[in-house]
Amino acid sequence: MVVEQKIAEVIETSNSEFLAECYDLDNVPALGSMVRTKGKGCQIYGIVYVSATHSIEPGRRIAARGKAATSEADVFKANPQLAKLLCSDFKALVVGHSQDKAIYQYLPPSPASIYSFVYACSPVEVKQFTQSLNFLNLMIESRSTVAPDEVIAAFLRYASLTHPVPEEFLVKAGKELAWTLSNDMRRLDSILKRL
Amino acid sequence: MTENEKMNTKLGTVISGSLTQGVHVKLDPARSVEDVTVGRYVAIQGEKKRFFGMITDISLEAVDPRAMVMPPDISVPLIAKVVSGTTTYGKLSVLPMLTISGVAGDTEGPQPAKTVPPHFARVELASQSDVQRVFGKEDKQRFYVGTPLDMETRICLDMVELVKRSNGVFGKSGTGKTFLTRLLLIGMLQKSRTTSLIFDMHNEYGWEGTSEKDHKVKGLKQLFPGKVAVFSLDEKYDQRRKVKSDFVVKIGYDEIEPEDMQMLRSVLNLTDLAVQAVYELARYFGDDKWLQSTLDLFDSGDKEFAGKHNIAEGTWKNLLRGLQMLQRFKFLVPHAPENTVTTILEYISHGKSVVLQFGGYDDIAAYVLVANLLTRRIYDRYREMVDIAISADSKKPDQLVITIEEAHRFLNPEISSQTIFGKIAREMRKYNVTMLVIDQRPSGIDEEVMSQLGTKITCLLDNEKDVDTVLTGVSGKSELKSVLSKLDSKQQALIFGHALPMPVVVKVREYGSADSYKELGPSSPGDSTRKTDGLDDLWG
Amino acid sequence: MTLDITQVYSQIEAMAGDLKSHQSDYAQKLELAQTTLKSIPPHQDRLKKKIEDARATWLVAGLKEEISLHRAAVPCPDDFMVVASDGSHIDVDRHHSTRLFLLNIGLVELQYGSKPDAELLSLPTLYFGDEMQAIRSGDGKQALIEGQLLGIKRGVEECRGLADRVCGGETDLPVVGLIDGSLIMWGLVGQRYDDFIVEQLLDEGLLKQFDRFYELNGKRKAVIASYISFPRSADVVNALRLQICPYDPVDCDNKNCKGKFEGRGCDVVGGVLDRAVFAGMLSDGERSAVFSSRSSIIERYGVHQVCFFYLKLEEEVARVEVPLWVADNNKLLDLVHAVIVDQCHKGFGYPVSLSEAHEQAVVTGADREQFWDLVDRVMQEGSLAVQQSLKQRSKKTKWL
Repeated sequence: MVVEQKIAEVIETSNSEFLAECYDLDNVPALGSMVRTKGKGCQIYGIVYVSATHSIEPGRRIAARGKAATSEADVFKANPQLAKLLCSDFKALVVGHSQDKAIYQYLPPSPASIYSFVYACSPVEVKQFTQSLNFLNLMIESRSTVAPDEVIAAFLRYASLTHPVPEEFLVKAGKELAWTLSNDMRRLDSILKRL
Repeated sequence: MTENEKMNTKLGTVISGSLTQGVHVKLDPARSVEDVTVGRYVAIQGEKKRFFGMITDISLEAVDPRAMVMPPDISVPLIAKVVSGTTTYGKLSVLPMLTISGVAGDTEGPQPAKTVPPHFARVELASQSDVQRVFGKEDKQRFYVGTPLDMETRICLDMVELVKRSNGVFGKSGTGKTFLTRLLLIGMLQKSRTTSLIFDMHNEYGWEGTSEKDHKVKGLKQLFPGKVAVFSLDEKYDQRRKVKSDFVVKIGYDEIEPEDMQMLRSVLNLTDLAVQAVYELARYFGDDKWLQSTLDLFDSGDKEFAGKHNIAEGTWKNLLRGLQMLQRFKFLVPHAPENTVTTILEYISHGKSVVLQFGGYDDIAAYVLVANLLTRRIYDRYREMVDIAISADSKKPDQLVITIEEAHRFLNPEISSQTIFGKIAREMRKYNVTMLVIDQRPSGIDEEVMSQLGTKITCLLDNEKDVDTVLTGVSGKSELKSVLSKLDSKQQALIFGHALPMPVVVKVREYGSADSYKELGPSSPGDSTRKTDGLDDLWG
Repeated sequence: MTLDITQVYSQIEAMAGDLKSHQSDYAQKLELAQTTLKSIPPHQDRLKKKIEDARATWLVAGLKEEISLHRAAVPCPDDFMVVASDGSHIDVDRHHSTRLFLLNIGLVELQYGSKPDAELLSLPTLYFGDEMQAIRSGDGKQALIEGQLLGIKRGVEECRGLADRVCGGETDLPVVGLIDGSLIMWGLVGQRYDDFIVEQLLDEGLLKQFDRFYELNGKRKAVIASYISFPRSADVVNALRLQICPYDPVDCDNKNCKGKFEGRGCDVVGGVLDRAVFAGMLSDGERSAVFSSRSSIIERYGVHQVCFFYLKLEEEVARVEVPLWVADNNKLLDLVHAVIVDQCHKGFGYPVSLSEAHEQAVVTGADREQFWDLVDRVMQEGSLAVQQSLKQRSKKTKWL
């Protein structure tokens, strides 16, 4: 059995999303990838919608340091403290949860627990979760992300690869989107063009 | 049926509709509108009943009308796949025609639909068994004419039932009327005791005819040598084609009656006065001698006769021109050695069908003259035979089907009431004579005659008036209209009427290949009692 | 109504004008100071003796190296460490019923070279109760720690944190410990603190930490140094005054210039700061000669006697202070010099380790408020009465 590698920890949480700080600087899950964490009595699934690397102190500006360096790695070598003063984190949109092996594609009763570990979902998990696509609603309706369409498209591209015929999956997902966005052709079009 | 197969046959779901206008079906996203065609059969599974109907229209719909203003970019294959069935979808109009037993074990046959299936009922392509339940299996009475569109199931016509009424084969030129007719004639020969008299204007039925692709197809005589006789009006034609006809038809002047001239009025360009003059001449010289005598008058250049009988000079000249045209026909002789009518009837009474080939005389005037003249006499004799049989309480003669082409020449509203064909269409069912009329302009045929036709088999028609005429009095006319006008120009026909529980579009069965002849001969599937014919050796 | 800035404006203008009038005067003085410095002969024995014998009003630098020396930094070792410490505090609040204070020590350990690494720590300690908040003598005297004394206490704790960190390490890499400010406990100078206080804070406090560094040198190079940005000291200029002073031996107050504030011979360089003198004499990265501090308190420092040199950086001249045992060891001195130049370079002019230590230590106004709120809340939860002075309340709430 493969020991799962935790990648981050929940540091801000609400019913609909959570913020997780990565253990490794600059090693954030990809936009649109699927992560899992724990809530009260359930596993919570989220989709990464924004990730960032920034100073751990609000208001402290990061200065460029590489003018004299020959490579980007040298910057960290010459300034070892940077790794401790910067952090990478990401926000994930909650898209469903599982309890006793059953997957529910709607918000869990309670938010992800603070400080709970976050794991990247395996392709098998993603495939299982995406057997049904009701959760796309949650993503479309989300107001938290500035570019929900990018996130949806990124996620679908990523999820499609876990299915035996990615093309088929994309069509199925596209149709699901089309139902929801039947009154917004332009948006539908823009998402589909990114698939 | 496995889930997968179910998915494969599912077409869509009922979303609205009415009994009179048909139900609307939203096409399943997995289906492309391009895969469904008008005229296809569908089965709709209601809660208690299974409905059987036909696709009569296909339309495109959009959930959001804005999609029409800003069409999605379907050059991206994914987008094209996604929007179909979601943002945009196909809508089918389905006319539910019958209810077929919904409950297993229900043996009740198909009934006309008196209600519609409920909302969201599942619509699927009709299965083989659905179609069979409606149209029956091929058997000793049922003749396989073709398959429904996109299906393998055989659609069969009950030939015995079919010939009890006059029928029509329509379709614009080049759509395969002849081909269909030939098949129907074969069906009659194979599946019923019917005999046929075929006025074969273009020499297409008896011997080899040419199919549209120019390769030769066998004629009736070749397929049913024992049951078919070929009569010919033109020996020279027979010699050129190197065939030997069973009988060479000659018609004597003494056989042409004024009624025949009336029929020829338009083809010979006779004036009404000229036709009146014929009656006058017949009264004077007698029905059997008027033509010979008149021709003699013309030959002698006698001008007083006309004046004496108040026939204007113009009229006289008009008549002269008409009769001169008749004289070109070599089959007309002053006196025929054998009576053709009698010979035909003799064959027919022995169960032999007669194909009368016109040979080189593929002239409408010859056709009208001969068909009319012979039919009238045969009709009289047949009627006599039937009357005798009724009074003697003995067996009536077998059903006789007279096949005529260019039917509007005989059955147009102006003359149909006077011609023998109009009469047959209207009343001769009881005398066991019916017609198979073939025409490309059905609008030229008297409405009353049309309404008397039991079953109509029509290929593509594109003239609005023709379509209207053919469909007069059929329920679901407007829906059938769209079906009819969208038929392929080859090998497809809409069949509706008496011999079928519901209208059907068929892809006409193949005819002309070596394989096809195996099933088109005297014995065929379902034909267990092959009739043996004692007359074979007479003409052998 | 708060400060009326329009009224201040004219005064600021007056000030600027006054400064301007002194400008050329100052430039003259500076030039003279530099000329004087350069004129001192290499052996400088006379000046040395004059400094030793002088009874001057001013704090005069002790000469250890040739006064005009300037030396570029050697390269840093391949692998080395810098540990820096800084502190801040929340002082006793007279208006608050509970007497307590908080020290927050920020520590930064940076490792450079083949295995770069960093450790950033913030170590807050709450001091409460009599024992923790007072300095006691063996014979029953005690002084409460607050105000200025707390500042001194903080300095000691910064240094203790630094020593703890460096001595706790398991590596043998050369290490430079840095603190912000001076190694000299100026707070104790001039104040009449009881001897037990000085003893506790300096002898038993700060110098004990220096000892730990000193002892470490058995197994690895370990240096403690302090960094003073924008120094206002004039020790070296004061030595120049002695050079200029016509009297020998010098005895300003008692004999030569008794009661004079102006017009003394040495005033020709008066008002010039050391950093100004060296700004013109050193190139980037160069250090000045090492001097020793002759402050009265230094007598107690023993082996840790504070020495210093000035360092020219791109933007300023800083003062670096080291104990005598560093100043006397060329290798250690070079190490300090090299590392601080490198640190300043990485920190955009100020040692990066110190600025990070400051970031770790800093207690903002908001932090302060949050701290007191938390204290109040916990006390209330423990059913302990909390009293606030009315003055404190009135500051929080502005009545109309």
